[in-house]
Amino acid sequence: MKTKVVIIGAGMVGASIAFHLTRLGEKDVFILEKSYVSSGSTGRCAGGIRQQWSTRNNVRLAMRSVEWFKRMKEDTGMDVEYKQGGYLILSFDEEEAEEFAENVKMQKEEGLEVEVLTPKQVKRRFPYVNVEGVKLATFCPTDGHANPHLANFAYIRRSVENGARLFTKTEVKEIDVSNGTVKGVWTNAGYIECEVVINAAGPWSKDIGEMVGIDLPTESYRHQILVTEPLENMMDPMIISFSGNFYIRQTRHGSFLMGQGDKDERPGINRKVTAKFLLEMVNKMSRRFPFLRNLRVIRQWSGEYNMSPDAQPIVGLSENVLGYFYAVGFSGHGFMVAPAVGEAIAEWIVFGKPKSVDVSQLSLERFKGKEFLKERSVV
Amino acid sequence: MKNKKVDFLVVGGGPAGLSAALEAGKRGLKVLLVDEGVRLGGQLVKQTHKFFGHEGTYASVRGFEIAKILVKELKKCKNIEAKTMTSVIGIYEDGVLAWDRKANEVFRIESEYTLIATGASEKYIAFENNDLPGIYGAGAVQTLMNQFGVLPGENFLIIGSGNIGLIVAYQLIQAGANVKAIVEITDKVGGYVVHLNKIRRLGVPVLLKHTIVRALGNNRVEGAVIAEVDESYNVIPGTEKELVVDTICLAVGLAPSIELAAMAGAEVIYIPELGGYIVRRDEFMRTSVPNLFVAGDVSGIEEATTAMLEGKIVGLTVSSEKKKMNLLGEIKALLRELEDFRRGPVSERVRRGFSKMGIKTVSGGFRTEVQRSKGPIGKLRAVIECPQPIPCNPCETVCAFGAISTGGSINGIPWVDYDKCTGCGLCALKCPGLAIFMVKEEVEKKEAIVGIPYELLPVPEEGEKVLGTDRDGKPVCEAVVEKVVKSKDKTHLVYLRVPLKYVDTVRGFVVSPREKYEFVCRCEEVTVQDIEKAIDEGYTDYEELRRYLRIGMGPCGGRTCRLLTLMILARKTGKRMEDLSPGTFRPPTIPVPFNAFLEGDKN
Repeated sequence: MKTKVVIIGAGMVGASIAFHLTRLGEKDVFILEKSYVSSGSTGRCAGGIRQQWSTRNNVRLAMRSVEWFKRMKEDTGMDVEYKQGGYLILSFDEEEAEEFAENVKMQKEEGLEVEVLTPKQVKRRFPYVNVEGVKLATFCPTDGHANPHLANFAYIRRSVENGARLFTKTEVKEIDVSNGTVKGVWTNAGYIECEVVINAAGPWSKDIGEMVGIDLPTESYRHQILVTEPLENMMDPMIISFSGNFYIRQTRHGSFLMGQGDKDERPGINRKVTAKFLLEMVNKMSRRFPFLRNLRVIRQWSGEYNMSPDAQPIVGLSENVLGYFYAVGFSGHGFMVAPAVGEAIAEWIVFGKPKSVDVSQLSLERFKGKEFLKERSVV
Repeated sequence: MKNKKVDFLVVGGGPAGLSAALEAGKRGLKVLLVDEGVRLGGQLVKQTHKFFGHEGTYASVRGFEIAKILVKELKKCKNIEAKTMTSVIGIYEDGVLAWDRKANEVFRIESEYTLIATGASEKYIAFENNDLPGIYGAGAVQTLMNQFGVLPGENFLIIGSGNIGLIVAYQLIQAGANVKAIVEITDKVGGYVVHLNKIRRLGVPVLLKHTIVRALGNNRVEGAVIAEVDESYNVIPGTEKELVVDTICLAVGLAPSIELAAMAGAEVIYIPELGGYIVRRDEFMRTSVPNLFVAGDVSGIEEATTAMLEGKIVGLTVSSEKKKMNLLGEIKALLRELEDFRRGPVSERVRRGFSKMGIKTVSGGFRTEVQRSKGPIGKLRAVIECPQPIPCNPCETVCAFGAISTGGSINGIPWVDYDKCTGCGLCALKCPGLAIFMVKEEVEKKEAIVGIPYELLPVPEEGEKVLGTDRDGKPVCEAVVEKVVKSKDKTHLVYLRVPLKYVDTVRGFVVSPREKYEFVCRCEEVTVQDIEKAIDEGYTDYEELRRYLRIGMGPCGGRTCRLLTLMILARKTGKRMEDLSPGTFRPPTIPVPFNAFLEGDKN
């Protein structure tokens, strides 16, 4: 079999690259998925879409992505439950609160609508939050959330309708490189000749890097989520806290999704869930959102953050292997920036360079220097 | 034996008892209210229709909602103790004994004043095979259907066309059953015209001068034989007809539950107009026994609304005596209200009954003419089809523009002032009888808009094609749903676009039958059809189907739907079950509330 572009991974990033490629007229696209669509990080994420970041790169990528989320229904014909209910970020720490002020200044320079709220203002606008201990909060009304499964399916489906081909249960075993140029990929279903390979393998990005001898500085860490039974819609924003270590949102279905980070996690892929998470989450969230006490936990699950050293995505074209792109290391935020990243890579392939969004600072090369700016706004 | 000493004992927690307890409780009396049922509210808890009357008597509120309001108020009142599942077993010379069935404990009650508000029980009639399973009283059908969510059959015959028979027929259709017919032995419908019109619009035949002859079936009802009757209510031979039904519902009237009052020594008299044997009482609801009162159906079969008013009168009378308060003004106002409720033609029988007991009533003094004008052609406006004077006026009070008037008496027939009507439709949403329609002619298009109050499922969607039906439920034309105004109280207003010539004909509609649903995932309501469609769209992994359709994401965690889904997937894709991935299993095994994990204060 033969195609021009092979995308490895049918998560949101791979789906978005395929969507933009086919939108721009490049229909010679294969999407290879070793399991099923949304089986990796996308299908396990909470679906938040946030533009309030501490680094300009992330703010820009996210703002551009929001433009795509806004038109996703029109672009794909699928209602992906996108809602711009805002993101409320709570700080419980003086030092962090000061950083927030700087972040907000930078975000405003980038043209983002953000406000700083006192605990009293938080209480007035979001009465279901217990504001005890809150030092300050920021709120961006154009942030929001969507159903990650549906968004993932929507981009895949539209890509396939536009001419791309999807191969699920198709695992890439080797990448054929000769004279420093991509020639094709070996899969469990046979050889596919191609000119371009894109590593959008999420949690498995490092393995796909090693296939061409590129050492991607990414590591996958387990994160867990739990979901409750549904209530009528009452919580518009996604509410998160870095210092409080939690996030929560209500889905359109009415259930509440919530999760936290765990510093004790070791790198590697682990799809099990823990009682520790359940107990910590339930206790913490019952204090912060007292209405949850009478609600029941329906299910908990886990997925991976494919972390990069600076918690910013690693996006670019390999300098050593011609035709090898990578879009990896999204550090837990791939879903929300995927539309813009996909756009950049598709433009790169079609026009020879990204036009709509600047990803030059996201290349692998940035880690060659000694210092890089770390994204701090991560749960 | 435990002994409860109170100022005021109320036996029966229906509309009369609750109202009495509240009036007395609010005025500081120590009240004990006992009720046999699992829940307070009496018959109110199974009434899903909106009540007539005025705002002060909860008009336009559904019966079970009224019960909720009253019970909520009762709970606020600390000096009222309410005991459910408790039966007063006798009012003895030396006291009152009650049996708390929850605790299985008999206790003694000492009270200075007692109200017996025990309501009524259903009458029964004799006909061949009337012991077959599948024959129910209307109250039992309502209890099963509206209180416990169990529909006792699919195809019903209803005996009796009083308000209860008409209401039950309507509720059965709302619940998805078929009502084959209502038979009425007399030559006219006993219930309100607006209730009758509601079921006529749904195509239910009401057969006057008909009765049931026998039930058919061996082990349960499989049919019924009905026949016409002559002037003396005897079956006319040769007129028998067979109906295929699986349930027969008897709505042949109520008999006051006088037993307890009679045991206490209260004088009982026979007044057929009030339901047969009833407890004699004066206008303040006193029986012949000192300090013993009655209210509601036990002293004459009427409405929940009159029961509430009577209960209030007792509550006030007892309070005024016990607390030496002058409440005569309030009591007189309630008496006047009762008098007003009983003015109209539908209370004619009741008035005759009261006059036999020496209680004065008045009649007339309200508008009886139906409005001729249907308003200016081309303007969106309300058309009221409420031709019978009944004590009801929410249309008048809800109209913000003062466009509707019942002519100065609650019994009067409402008229619309078309200069003031803005076509807002609030009256149509509010009318308990669903008797107000919205119309607008679009003459140049040869079309018209007709707004119809609607309480059935499914509620049609905008743009949907439906079949417009007339006042007898007969299809007359195709119609398109123009707009649906959904209301919290579940009376929706569906605007249809119909051919102009049917503007005065279409008063209902039939939604074209929807697909039959075969549920695979009952938590998230995913059907076989949904799954097959998704597989056709390319979702061929269990986990993809789960993410796309939410199948298995509900409280059961996929216990029933996982296997069914995989079987459909195998069938559709031609794969073997062994080759399909069954997907992930995630804890917890059952939904667990947050507070089950919390230590200390759980609230």
